[in-house]
Amino acid sequence: MKTNTHFAFFDEGSKKEIRRAILKAVAIPGYQVPFASREMPIARGWGTGGLQITLSIIGKQDVLKVIDQGADESVNAVSIKKLVQATTGVKLTERTQESSIIQSRHRIPEVALTEGQILVLQVPMPEPLRPYEAKEYQTKILHSEEDYSGAWLMLFEQIMKYGQTATGADHPVYVNNRYVMAPSPIPRFDNPKMHQSEALILLGAGREKKIYAVPPYTDVASLAFDDYPFAVESFEGKHCHLCGATNVFMDELIDHSTGETIYQCNDTSYCMERLNANVEAEVEENHV
Amino acid sequence: MAIDQVHDMQQVYRKLLQSMSRPGTISSIREIAERVEYKLPCYRATFLSVMTLLDAEVTFHILSEKNQELIEKISEYTLAKYAAITEADFVIVLQDDTEASIIEAMERCKNGNLLDPQHSATWIIESPLIAKEAELTLTGPGIKQEAQLQVGLTPEIWQTRNERASEYPLGIDFIFIDEQAQLACVPRTTSVVILEVE
Ligand SMILES: [Zn+2]
Repeated sequence: MKTNTHFAFFDEGSKKEIRRAILKAVAIPGYQVPFASREMPIARGWGTGGLQITLSIIGKQDVLKVIDQGADESVNAVSIKKLVQATTGVKLTERTQESSIIQSRHRIPEVALTEGQILVLQVPMPEPLRPYEAKEYQTKILHSEEDYSGAWLMLFEQIMKYGQTATGADHPVYVNNRYVMAPSPIPRFDNPKMHQSEALILLGAGREKKIYAVPPYTDVASLAFDDYPFAVESFEGKHCHLCGATNVFMDELIDHSTGETIYQCNDTSYCMERLNANVEAEVEENHV
Repeated sequence: MAIDQVHDMQQVYRKLLQSMSRPGTISSIREIAERVEYKLPCYRATFLSVMTLLDAEVTFHILSEKNQELIEKISEYTLAKYAAITEADFVIVLQDDTEASIIEAMERCKNGNLLDPQHSATWIIESPLIAKEAELTLTGPGIKQEAQLQVGLTPEIWQTRNERASEYPLGIDFIFIDEQAQLACVPRTTSVVILEVE
């Protein structure tokens, strides 16, 4: 049996092609650069696009964090971490502040990202115009002509139907005032974090063979109308039942003993860190 | 110690990515460049960048006609093919190239098309000295407010570049490299204002 002995899984030729695509993506913010997506030892749709980016940029000095829908310990995040670590030996972390590369599905961490970090987002469907135009060649023409009337119409229809912008995750954004881009299925709550981000954001779609990017300090505006402004999910008056946090993205849970609705930080490492800090503070107090 | 094709190339790439995503930010690959053992008709850091980015899937062009030796070395080490300026994916400018030859090449190189703006040339340009000086003022994506950069290109060359980048997303992306193995980038999105010399 032939075993894979390459550093970071890929041969150098595969990395070079992906690396070149990333540089073009950075030079044309929001534009989907095609690349020759490789077969990966994890199922497609489970982050192969993000994983291919991570493996192509990662080096021995990097510290990697992987999260899936806010959780570091989900099966998917763990299998990605295992693959990367087995082929690179890099240090893993759950602390956002300690990481140099963060690969994520469906979330941007609560802790603000900084200049030394790269966020890699996994993308199932990179084409924001696909819901109304099935043909790839046609969507390419629409992007080339900056014809986004269909995207606006889609938004308008939602407002007519629901009385508000009822998009869930993956609410389209305008990048650098030129390309309409799918931010990946992050909640609307995370969209503003892309605007003028300190960290470089790279997005990868394995099945659709596309890589795109939001460089740091780049304008990212969520699509909205003047009279129906963009709004993030509201957690006003709610707090995390574990750590007490407010103004973070929370999951809704049912307290089985009381039957009441309770809320909990979706970003588990953020919540854990706050809990530990609270415990430490209590210990300090008891020692005084 | 020689160059490590895996880990050194990864580090060079990350510096390139760092500088391309933050135009005007100067990165150094000196520690790696000092280990380059080949005798080369270009800066060691130029060769490292070429090794990092080129392979059999892309083409390159060198302006200086007398550089048969470098063309052969690059082809041999990267398997990339030499191509005319109108076709090349990478254009390599050495420090002794003239303003006239650079401008002519810049007017003729690929700058992408609206459907595929990525089908454009990436220029790897040797600079006498890259510094954070007010020769150029840069603004645009990747830059918080503004950045200053000195690379030693003439105002006429920048004017040609600005014309080729005027129909965004069409344009060309620059990687500058100096003898001290510093590098800086100016992608097509960067708006470049040249300091007026009285
Ligand atoms: Zn919490």
